[in-house]
Amino acid sequence: MAIIAASGVEKIFRQPKRHAGFGGAIRSLFSREFTEVRAVDGISFKIESGEAVGYLGPNGAGKSTMIKMMTGILVPSSGTVEVLGREPHNNRITNAAEIGVVFGQRSQLWWDLPVRDSFDLNRHIYDIPAPRFTENLARLTTMLDMSSYIDRPVRQLSLGQRMRAEIAMALLHDPKILFLDEPTIGLDVVAKDVVRKFLAEVNRDRGTTIILTTHDLVDIEEICPRLIMVDDGKLLFDGELKHLRTALGSRRRLKLEFGSDPGPIALKTAQLVADEGAAKHFLLDSEQTSILDVLTELGSGHDLKDVKLEEPDIEEVIRTFYQNKVQAGAVP
Amino acid sequence: MKLAAYPAFTATAFQSRLAYRNQVWSGVFGELVFMFARIAIWTSVFSTVASDSVDGVTLPQMITYALLAGPVLYWDYSRLLRDVGTAVKSGDIAVYLLKPLLYPAYMLASHTGNFLFDLLTVTVPVAIIIGFTVGLVPPASLFHGLAFLAFWALSFGMLFLLTTILGLAAFWLMTADSLDWFFNSIMILFAGGIVPLWFFPDWLATIAGNLPFAWVSYYPAAIYIGQLDPSQALTAFIIGIVWFAVLLAVLLWLWAKARHRLIVQGG
Repeated sequence: MAIIAASGVEKIFRQPKRHAGFGGAIRSLFSREFTEVRAVDGISFKIESGEAVGYLGPNGAGKSTMIKMMTGILVPSSGTVEVLGREPHNNRITNAAEIGVVFGQRSQLWWDLPVRDSFDLNRHIYDIPAPRFTENLARLTTMLDMSSYIDRPVRQLSLGQRMRAEIAMALLHDPKILFLDEPTIGLDVVAKDVVRKFLAEVNRDRGTTIILTTHDLVDIEEICPRLIMVDDGKLLFDGELKHLRTALGSRRRLKLEFGSDPGPIALKTAQLVADEGAAKHFLLDSEQTSILDVLTELGSGHDLKDVKLEEPDIEEVIRTFYQNKVQAGAVP
Repeated sequence: MKLAAYPAFTATAFQSRLAYRNQVWSGVFGELVFMFARIAIWTSVFSTVASDSVDGVTLPQMITYALLAGPVLYWDYSRLLRDVGTAVKSGDIAVYLLKPLLYPAYMLASHTGNFLFDLLTVTVPVAIIIGFTVGLVPPASLFHGLAFLAFWALSFGMLFLLTTILGLAAFWLMTADSLDWFFNSIMILFAGGIVPLWFFPDWLATIAGNLPFAWVSYYPAAIYIGQLDPSQALTAFIIGIVWFAVLLAVLLWLWAKARHRLIVQGG
């Protein structure tokens, strides 16, 4: 059975209209006009136990809103969200005991106290039995390399140290599902790497289901075999990262370099996109077309020096995709 | 979630305060200055009258009232108001919804920690210093002393409820900055923290004496110095309990509304 099931989820926010300027501010005091913002627009998916899913989209795509609905702190305007067979907002306390949540931009640690004290408070909040707490704390301290700063107050920690502590804090009670909202935001390369490796390990070895939002593709490549992509509140893609390229209809580039300019060349298997004379760039029509097909069609007689096939960079693919706002359906 | 977590919040809040030791010194110093100012005012008021009591209250009693109604009963509520206000404003209040706990109960537990910290580090030292330098009077009788303790507990609960209710208003106003000022001016008048209600004109004393604010400072301090006889004290206590129940219901209702607003509109 699916551990999380969303079907036809919509979330519409009503925001009071603010008028610009001083006169506008006065007007806003008396008039109540609202604009409707559709943050999540008809999203459905199922997540099985033990999966690691990346939830990707640009700023304002409705990622955090979706996480908030799955954790029970927002109610969908329509459609249903079920987590562990329950509606999260109607079973907030039961649900909260079985999930772990990390918000990259909000701290759950006690600012003035040593990290250890925050952990100990979680032991009380989640009623974790002492032996299990000791064992989890020891394991997480080693895995996240926290022993050097666990007795220091949170306000003295670097962002990377704090984020590791936040993640450990969310895992102390052995949650079945771990939600992370932009866990690598603002971290340096090394800290990002530690966090990614750790999350992948938790998912693999402990079987903890992980759902993370990000706009960093490397997060997805290293942690999540499955990717859900959204934009403007709509689902664009749900499947494996390697299928994304095909789904978004991007094509491979072929560069042919000649000893001397062979003049114009037209091919059926590849489309000429740039002509620099001695170097010509083609786009391959489909995944099925191989270089061999192109070279066969080109035939001999040209002074061909070099052949280069370029896989499109995935970031590039997504960027072009967002820019063109092509409405692609969900492809498994 | 076990109830054991709530005492842990109290202990944690207490510990957090230890991180800022300088606040203790400024707290003691500030309260002392404030107390000596009040003592100076009452001394000069009493020096203008021929008898040694005004409305049946002597100067040492008045000074004791000032200490109780001030630093002892009127603890630093602004920290609580600020905590609720900023949690609402910054959206951090959502973090509390992610944990298996009841937010108002959590606030009560952690501010009990703050209260105990202030009591031990500021209130008790100030009371001792005033006691040795100026002098304080003991409770009017054993009954009044015990009744004072009961009223003190009620006072703590009442101030907590009033402040938290006001803090939750930030959900609708989106700021708690002005609330602090607003609340303070109401308290100065109606709680009897500076001028006891028996100096008010009758009509105002009747109004103030029936509003919940009076249970924060006026009633406990007035009972300690024996301004109310046992039957009056009992009546006041019962009315206080009724107010407490009403405010508790208002708080829980408001919190349910606030939570609903948070989860429907996203704060």
